[in-house]
Amino acid sequence: MIGTIVKREILDYLKSAKFQIGLVVTLVIAVVATAINIQDFKLRQQDYTAAREEMKGNKYEVLIYRPPQVLSVLVQGKDRVLGSKASLTTLTIPDRLTGYMGSRGAERQRSLSGFGSVDFAFVVRVILSLMVVFLAYNAVSEEKSFGTLKLALANPVPRHHLLLGKGLAGLAIVLGSLFIASTASVLLMLVQPFIVLAGSDVMRILNLVAASALYLIAFYALSLFVSVLVNRPSTALMILLQLWIILVVIYPHLGVDIAENFFRLPGDRELSAMKQAAFQPYEAEFNKVRDAYRYKGDRSPETGRRYFELQALESQKSHEVDLDFGRQLTRQMRLAQNLCLLSPAVLFDRMANRYARTGLDEYERFMQGLARYWQTKYLGLQKLRYEDLKAYQKAEVPAFDYPTERTAEAWIATIPQGLILCLMSLILFVLAYAAFLKKDVR
Amino acid sequence: MKTIIKRELLDHLQSIQFIVLLVFSITLFSANGIIFAKKFRQVDSTFQQRTAGSQPHPDTQIIFLFRQSNPYLFLAEGGDLDRPSAYFLMAKGYFSASSAFLSRDYKLPDIPKLDWSFIIKTIFSLYVILLGYAAVSGEKEEGTLRLVLSNPVGRVRFLAGKYIAILCAALVPLLAGCLVSSVILAIVLPQILTFDTVSRILFLLLLSAAYLSLFAFLSLLVSSLIRRSSIALLVLLAVWVVFIVLIPDISGILAQKLAKVPSDYQTAKNLGPFVQKEVWDKINGIQARIDRGELRTEEAVKAEAEKAYESGQEKLRFYEKNYEDSVAQRARLARDLSRLSPIALFQYAADDIALSGIHGEEEFLKNISSYSKIYDAYVMKKTGKLISQSNWMFSSSVKVDGKSIDLHSPQPEAYRGDMSDFPKFVERPARLSEAVRYALGDIAGLLVWNILLAGLAFSMFLRSDVR
Repeated sequence: MIGTIVKREILDYLKSAKFQIGLVVTLVIAVVATAINIQDFKLRQQDYTAAREEMKGNKYEVLIYRPPQVLSVLVQGKDRVLGSKASLTTLTIPDRLTGYMGSRGAERQRSLSGFGSVDFAFVVRVILSLMVVFLAYNAVSEEKSFGTLKLALANPVPRHHLLLGKGLAGLAIVLGSLFIASTASVLLMLVQPFIVLAGSDVMRILNLVAASALYLIAFYALSLFVSVLVNRPSTALMILLQLWIILVVIYPHLGVDIAENFFRLPGDRELSAMKQAAFQPYEAEFNKVRDAYRYKGDRSPETGRRYFELQALESQKSHEVDLDFGRQLTRQMRLAQNLCLLSPAVLFDRMANRYARTGLDEYERFMQGLARYWQTKYLGLQKLRYEDLKAYQKAEVPAFDYPTERTAEAWIATIPQGLILCLMSLILFVLAYAAFLKKDVR
Repeated sequence: MKTIIKRELLDHLQSIQFIVLLVFSITLFSANGIIFAKKFRQVDSTFQQRTAGSQPHPDTQIIFLFRQSNPYLFLAEGGDLDRPSAYFLMAKGYFSASSAFLSRDYKLPDIPKLDWSFIIKTIFSLYVILLGYAAVSGEKEEGTLRLVLSNPVGRVRFLAGKYIAILCAALVPLLAGCLVSSVILAIVLPQILTFDTVSRILFLLLLSAAYLSLFAFLSLLVSSLIRRSSIALLVLLAVWVVFIVLIPDISGILAQKLAKVPSDYQTAKNLGPFVQKEVWDKINGIQARIDRGELRTEEAVKAEAEKAYESGQEKLRFYEKNYEDSVAQRARLARDLSRLSPIALFQYAADDIALSGIHGEEEFLKNISSYSKIYDAYVMKKTGKLISQSNWMFSSSVKVDGKSIDLHSPQPEAYRGDMSDFPKFVERPARLSEAVRYALGDIAGLLVWNILLAGLAFSMFLRSDVR
């Protein structure tokens, strides 16, 4: 029996104008956005490779570049705006990346039309979720208002079968649209010769699609519930739209605003005072050694080496303060995210960014790698200058690399978000089910 | 007609949409007031700290110019908080954004700020649609349209009554919200509530009325075209999505594609290693030219080195300007394309009124340019020559007639004497009249949309079959 209902419903959906228009719009935007993002990725990749070849620093100032993430084609996240270059010296461990031209470049890229960017994640978050609302708002409410619900239930069909059938059919349509949109985007990526997807990337894309499915299912359950509760289809659609705008626009917005304005961060002056205080115990010795080395002409290896050590120590102390500040920024961001724990859109974004490696987690992993590189390899190289000048002159700048995240780690990290989304869908389905069983169908 | 307006308005006021809108409006606008009051205080105290004492700090080599905190950001933030808050200026009119004063909380998600224009452009436009989609089609469905029109009421009056009722039902929560936000700002920051601010607020409200009226006409049009109200709502929402998401985003993408902007990296390479190598080649070539007898005297050699330096500086300016110009060109293109959407028209006009958009930045850069002439004159008076610093240098030595000459890249001189007469930098923000002049095109666009949609709505309704 369910089979018949599912079949009928699916056919109805396939023939409906809203599905056809929705699918075409989704597909067009997904393909156009992916194509443009692929071009953009190609340029950034070229720049990255060229910069590594051509814009080498010297042995004292070592320049490190951050590669663009291949999955940023699907989920831009913060990949473009976080910068791509770091310059290391004995005096500085950067706490933040800059653009190739210093910090100006990366910031400047953003001032386009003043609106956001489009990618696959955007298509899912905004376009497909709206399409889900359009598809499901009249699942029950319209049959009720037309009076066909009465007729359908006059047949020997148990109520829960009818709802289950409708639910399954709707889900099939929603997931089918998602599948088409993601297949189109991924295929477009695969045919590019310069995009090489590793096995882990494929796993990550699958995870991304699964997260999208969870997100859309949650919206579908919500729409079904409202459709069961409300008798007039246009009222149901109205209520759903208001819920949509709350969940996707207003609520995440307020979360970020609260975190931004009510999380106290130390000011610039406080930070520099803290840095000074951290180096206070060594200040006197530092001044003595510096004066001896630079002004009194004491070029003995011991003095030189001590001078270098103290310089490195100062950068390290100041880096610790920077690190602490960075941790506070991270806490601020987490606060914004946790305040929005009930918005499916924010949960989905977190998962998508994690899988695409375009969120802050990846950035911070890179920065940690940078600090470790400075501590071990960079300082080791500089030390040579005072221990063995010949070896220093011969030495090459050590290669930089940082550990990549295993897919399983990303998967474990996103379990909470996934669970909340599942739970939301489950509760809403159960509510819809209970409401339908008790509904007056006349 | 009065009866129609009254009845419709009462209907709206009792509807769930209206109540929800009122709640949203008051919540969001009070959040807006609190947030922007806090933000302004914070930004302004930083500005005061930095500029305490003489502004700028007297120096003949390089100076920092700080941007005043903009008190109108609560109206339309326009990306202002992400722009550099300080620029450095050197002799010969060379200035650039300082990277030391960029926004610090870069880890938060990039979302549009909760300013008045954002609330009005997204939430209120949607609610005008929700208030208006059933105006004609709903009555048609229920059969009451026939009844109403069988009374001696003209169709034009009927539709006009509906239009006024929708607009009023949207404007009441808007005014309530704006009042709440203004009161909060007035209590926390009494100093920013000047005549100028109030006139900007009123202007923005007029602009919002024009913007919302366009959506009222649009919903009446669709409502009289389409019989079933749920389909009318669907179509209206599709149009709304196109206006608010598709047109602006796609125009951003198109502009990126069409405008030729040299990449960040390419520019960095030109500015750094490329120009440096050219200058070094010229300097290294000097000895050969001396040997060939082209340069004979010490003065000629020094002049040649200076020429090489200056040509390098010009190249730098050229690449920088080329980059800045093409980025600005691309931004303009993106904005022009997205002006197809009335939402963009409204946003850009609001940005202009709040002095926060691209035009606000241009105005500030003009201020710097005009100050740089005063600065140049001052440096000239104190040190006798104008030299702007470079991000590379050279030092080399050549031999003329057995005499060795050191060639160094010139450095701007730091004047050590009395600088109490150092010229003060006073930023002069654009007046409201100038701001309106910038916004004129966008305002005209909004009016055209209104006239067009009103004409269509009325003609469609007059010809529609009401049975």
